[in-house]
Amino acid sequence: MEKQAQTPGQATLAAGQRPIRVVLTKVGLDGHDRGVKVIAQALRDAGMEVIYAGLRRTPEDIARIVLEEDADVLGLSILSGAVVPLTRRVLEALKALDIDDVVLVVGGIVPDPARAELNGMGVPGVFTPGTSLTEIVKFIESSVKLDRDYGEKQ
Amino acid sequence: MAHHRPARPARPAATHYDAWFDMNQDELRQTRKPSFVTPNGVTVQTLYTPEHLEKEGWNYQSDVGFPGQAPWTRGFNPAGYRRELWKTEMYAGFGSAEEANERYRYLMSQGSTGGISIALDLPTQIGYDSDHPMARDEVGQIGVALTSLDDVERVFDGIPLEKVGHIFSTANAIGPIVCAWLLALYEKRGTKTGDCIVQLQNDPIKEYVARGTQFLPIESAVKLTTDMIEYCQTAAPEWLPISVSGSHMKQAGATCIQEAAFTICNAITYVESCLARGLKIDDFGHVLELHFCTEMDFFEEVAKYRAVRKVWTRLVRERFGGTTERAQHFRLHAATSGRPLTAQQPLNNIARITLQALAQILGGCEQTRTASFDEALGIPTQEAARTSIRANQIIGYESGIPDTVDPLGGSYFVEHLTLTYEREIEAIIRKVDDMGGALAAVREGYYKRAISKGAYREACAIESGEQVVVGVNRFQSEESQPVPTFKLDPGAAERQVAKLAAVRAKRDGAEVRRTLANLHKACAAGGNVMPAIVECVKVYATIGEIADVWRDVYGVYVPESERF
Repeated sequence: MEKQAQTPGQATLAAGQRPIRVVLTKVGLDGHDRGVKVIAQALRDAGMEVIYAGLRRTPEDIARIVLEEDADVLGLSILSGAVVPLTRRVLEALKALDIDDVVLVVGGIVPDPARAELNGMGVPGVFTPGTSLTEIVKFIESSVKLDRDYGEKQ
Repeated sequence: MAHHRPARPARPAATHYDAWFDMNQDELRQTRKPSFVTPNGVTVQTLYTPEHLEKEGWNYQSDVGFPGQAPWTRGFNPAGYRRELWKTEMYAGFGSAEEANERYRYLMSQGSTGGISIALDLPTQIGYDSDHPMARDEVGQIGVALTSLDDVERVFDGIPLEKVGHIFSTANAIGPIVCAWLLALYEKRGTKTGDCIVQLQNDPIKEYVARGTQFLPIESAVKLTTDMIEYCQTAAPEWLPISVSGSHMKQAGATCIQEAAFTICNAITYVESCLARGLKIDDFGHVLELHFCTEMDFFEEVAKYRAVRKVWTRLVRERFGGTTERAQHFRLHAATSGRPLTAQQPLNNIARITLQALAQILGGCEQTRTASFDEALGIPTQEAARTSIRANQIIGYESGIPDTVDPLGGSYFVEHLTLTYEREIEAIIRKVDDMGGALAAVREGYYKRAISKGAYREACAIESGEQVVVGVNRFQSEESQPVPTFKLDPGAAERQVAKLAAVRAKRDGAEVRRTLANLHKACAAGGNVMPAIVECVKVYATIGEIADVWRDVYGVYVPESERF
């Protein structure tokens, strides 16, 4: 399938392409979900399919849900101060299931040194309070390979 | 820009609002915003006058009255803050018991008058020991880790409880365990329950809506809350065994009116659960606390606190059959909200915190908690926490604001808002009653939907620039210097796990097994489980062991996925 010309914020779908599918979740024990639910609605309004997996998911749970949902994007919401170790564990769990094509984004309370660490772990999409919703939508749209074949993951 | 009146002959003065508006409409219609609406959707008019209140049927005696008497609009205390300023409480806790102990001593040395207010880490709040796999990476992160009576003894080590006067903690589902710890600690130290008042949040319902530390089915959690209230009636009659809290629902996106109404609906559920046990409101009405948070819409917040006093005390009299003043005098607890604080230009938050603190003081709250300017970045540093204590002291000692009782009483605008709030809060209570009460409303997702809607509406308003957040979507600045942020000692979690292992090795294992088995029986039997929990904690059974008995008997809360 040919790649569609794409302008940020205005992703167009070619015939047979499905909308970007996003799994959002809380990881660890933090239960503050205002931010992640706002993002869920913003991504839905931008035309994406969003599954919010809820609270207190383990890294292993999350990897399984990503696989089952065939997600293009995984968004982790962490406000508890444990953002670096929890993200690392999710990356390990994804790797254990051979998931290497999901775009991982992280949102929450992320101090600058933690942001640098996350970037170093290969997670460029780190969003903190005050980030514009449009910026997040654009980041996701430009990061996802829209021409991905359904079967490619399996 | 200077404003000059048009050069026209002096006109006769208007004697009523419409005439005044008509005379000045050219100027009044040129507004800097298309409309003036509060975050609750209450339209704010150009001006409020006695005519507005008259039209609404406002009556000084029945709607406002004097301080210290029904309908309590002007506060519970006839002297307001003239006798004593509000209690300034600083919520704190991180790492293990030793780190928290040090911070509490510092805050008290700097003039925090609200006692010790303990933030617990997430594993503790969810009933996991510090060495549980789910606790990994989170021990001591957002609060102090408490796993057994040993940690509780360390937290208060060297601190004379009678001088502290007040201990608070956001223990919700685990409220009964923390209550038992403190009863055991008091007994060991020979402290009388009246010497230092313990106040626990013990409000699990809102966790299922907004805060997210629930781990049991909701009915069982409410049952445990009721057990604790009932038990404290005799074991610690001075303590405040519940603080029904709207703060977290508000910070998750509820409007001021929803915050007040949902909190009152949840409180109704707890009270009815106590009444069903045979308790009398005249005996426990005064140990109930309602807890709210204060955000940026100043007059709405003031009106909320005034209206809540009216609405709740009316329920106590008319719905629960309270006959005494004491039963109506609940604790009204206010906290400035961390949510409007920004990571961008963090020093701006000092102004936000001061305005919020002022609103809750002018709303007549007796105990107020104040956030710190660096809370959008992490756990407050000592300096940030001290600055918040100072903001309270500047209002208290420099501004003259607390020198007369309820200085905003009689403001046409504030009285109008108070009436509006009262009406709208009562409308939501009727709606929730019609659904079958708070638990049904939670199960049906009514609260959650309202809250998500509010949060998204605000996010969109900020995105479009319709709602201004200084330093975020307007008045951004590249010059802002980063402020120092708090660094948790990375060894704290490891030390905590080591201490727990030492406790396990030292305690009498047979006694632990026996008391836990008794707790299991008590839970299965359905009676009040507090006495059995007290026995467990005294022999150093851990929070995880006790919570596991609950999980075993009551079942566990299962998180749900939602599709958008």
